[in-house]
Amino acid sequence: MSSTNRRFVVAYILLVGLPLAGLAGVLKNGRHLTAPISIDGTWKVEANAASAPSDACAKTISSLLASNLVISQSGKTLAVNFTSGTKTPFAGSLNGREISAPLGAASGCTDDQEVTLTASVNPDIEPKSLTGNVSVATCASCAPMAFRAVRQPKAQSGGGH
Amino acid sequence: MPNLFILTLQLAVVLAVCRVTGWLFQRIGQPKVVGEMFAGIALGPSLLGWIAPHASAYLFPASSLGFLNALSQVGVVVFMFLVGLGINPRELKKEGHAAVLTSHVSITAPFVLAAFLALYLYPRLSDDSVHFTSFALFMGAAMSITAFPVLARILDERDMLRSRLGTVAIACAAVDDVTGWCILAYIVVLIRSAHSTHSIWLTIGGIIVFGLAMIHGVRRLLRGFERVYRTKGAISENLMALMLLLVLASSLFTEYLGIHLLFGAFLMGAIMPKEAKFVRYVLDRFETITVTLLLPLFFAFTGLRTNIAAVKGPEMWMYCGLIILVATMGKLGGSTLAAWLSGMPLREAAGLGTLMNTRGLMELVILNIGLDIGVISPALFSMMVMMALFTTFMTTPVLSLICPKEMLQAGKVEAERVPPTVNLREGEGAAA
Repeated sequence: MSSTNRRFVVAYILLVGLPLAGLAGVLKNGRHLTAPISIDGTWKVEANAASAPSDACAKTISSLLASNLVISQSGKTLAVNFTSGTKTPFAGSLNGREISAPLGAASGCTDDQEVTLTASVNPDIEPKSLTGNVSVATCASCAPMAFRAVRQPKAQSGGGH
Repeated sequence: MPNLFILTLQLAVVLAVCRVTGWLFQRIGQPKVVGEMFAGIALGPSLLGWIAPHASAYLFPASSLGFLNALSQVGVVVFMFLVGLGINPRELKKEGHAAVLTSHVSITAPFVLAAFLALYLYPRLSDDSVHFTSFALFMGAAMSITAFPVLARILDERDMLRSRLGTVAIACAAVDDVTGWCILAYIVVLIRSAHSTHSIWLTIGGIIVFGLAMIHGVRRLLRGFERVYRTKGAISENLMALMLLLVLASSLFTEYLGIHLLFGAFLMGAIMPKEAKFVRYVLDRFETITVTLLLPLFFAFTGLRTNIAAVKGPEMWMYCGLIILVATMGKLGGSTLAAWLSGMPLREAAGLGTLMNTRGLMELVILNIGLDIGVISPALFSMMVMMALFTTFMTTPVLSLICPKEMLQAGKVEAERVPPTVNLREGEGAAA
């Protein structure tokens, strides 16, 4: 073997072989990592709207809960929206099994009546389900509106999207 | 049924915005395709949706995106065929040890660094529906890709295609792309098989049989196209249609096997005859409509899925910075080191590293697949798109700084090379 070839082999082992060994180590160790539970997708909401108070703010909220909940997930960061809601999703967060998403001031509510969605995920049974409520801040007469939601199966992605 | 008014309006707006932005970017010395990539982002929620949400909702209603996507995917299928067509495995052999080492390091260095980064990002930006192995391998494949067509375009614009640096860069980029796509195929199979009733081994076996049949069987038949071209100096419309049919059939077959449409198109291009004039002839026939109309639709569709607002807060921006840093260190740093160790002067080696760091359109194609199969989250998708834009945008100015034109002229070689491949410049269909 010429000295050029020898140098090439040594360089190849150092620059390609060793990193590949490192990659194998990373893949092995990474298996032990845990990521946040998956809650991405569309959730069919079941809420008892009949029990809601009849003021405008509560009506808006119950109309939101009459539609599906759409969650886009990036780790613990969530973008939460309702299919009947505005186009801009609300930022939320996932902490363990707990979801929290401030929905801003819904139409019909006053500016200081901040609406918040809180829910807890039950990841043990498929399809996953959520139980939680939507509450309105600074509204003594508004009881939190409870809801339950079940995750809808995802459409299988085809050749494109 | 698509709303034809909205669809036509979308085509017109995308075309106009891409052309204007492309032209503006050319004014500042960037390849037009970089401008088109930015135009796509500008048409999405990151800019248009942010400053004029009502106009954005009118122009790109959710119900219309399926049609826009379908059209753009047709463009990407043809584009991947053209990329495969432009790749010539013999190029690498000509360049010897330097190219072999550089190309392999330019894959392994960013790949391994990306896998290390995945250890940090997986618990933060992914979820438990994605296995770490799939996540890490995807990050590696996405970071190790080089935009072969954009690279060819930059080299051509700088009259570097026949320089030593240019030829090594083209050869390395070809190897990177083929390797990157093979790894991506494996990841897609891995993820899809988890949701499929078919065994993964059945899928892998099918892919191997299909690949062998294409390389050892279909490839020979394809020589007939070249023979006709050599005899008549042209290929009839019927034969061009047959070629397109073969591309579509190959795409459908890989989709059926459980990988992706695009792999079939790429493979069909890769096994086509590589005689320079024939390659140029086929590229000229297919390029114009693909590059002028269909690829801008893909940029727009990618832009509509990219939301820079999803990268919110200092923590998210830190992740984004880290991704750009790791991608650049791995690709630019790794390629530079390998080329330098192979005997290339340091400045030239750094120039090669800079060229290899160009990710461009190929990166966007891969990222869209990753988002489709759910291996990356929307925020990570947006960060990776920004990384693709950043690394592609930096190529020209950094290259000018490291390797002035006069320096490169000294390294010019006389050998005739295959003309540059996919043309991502003007829609005039001229040679790239």
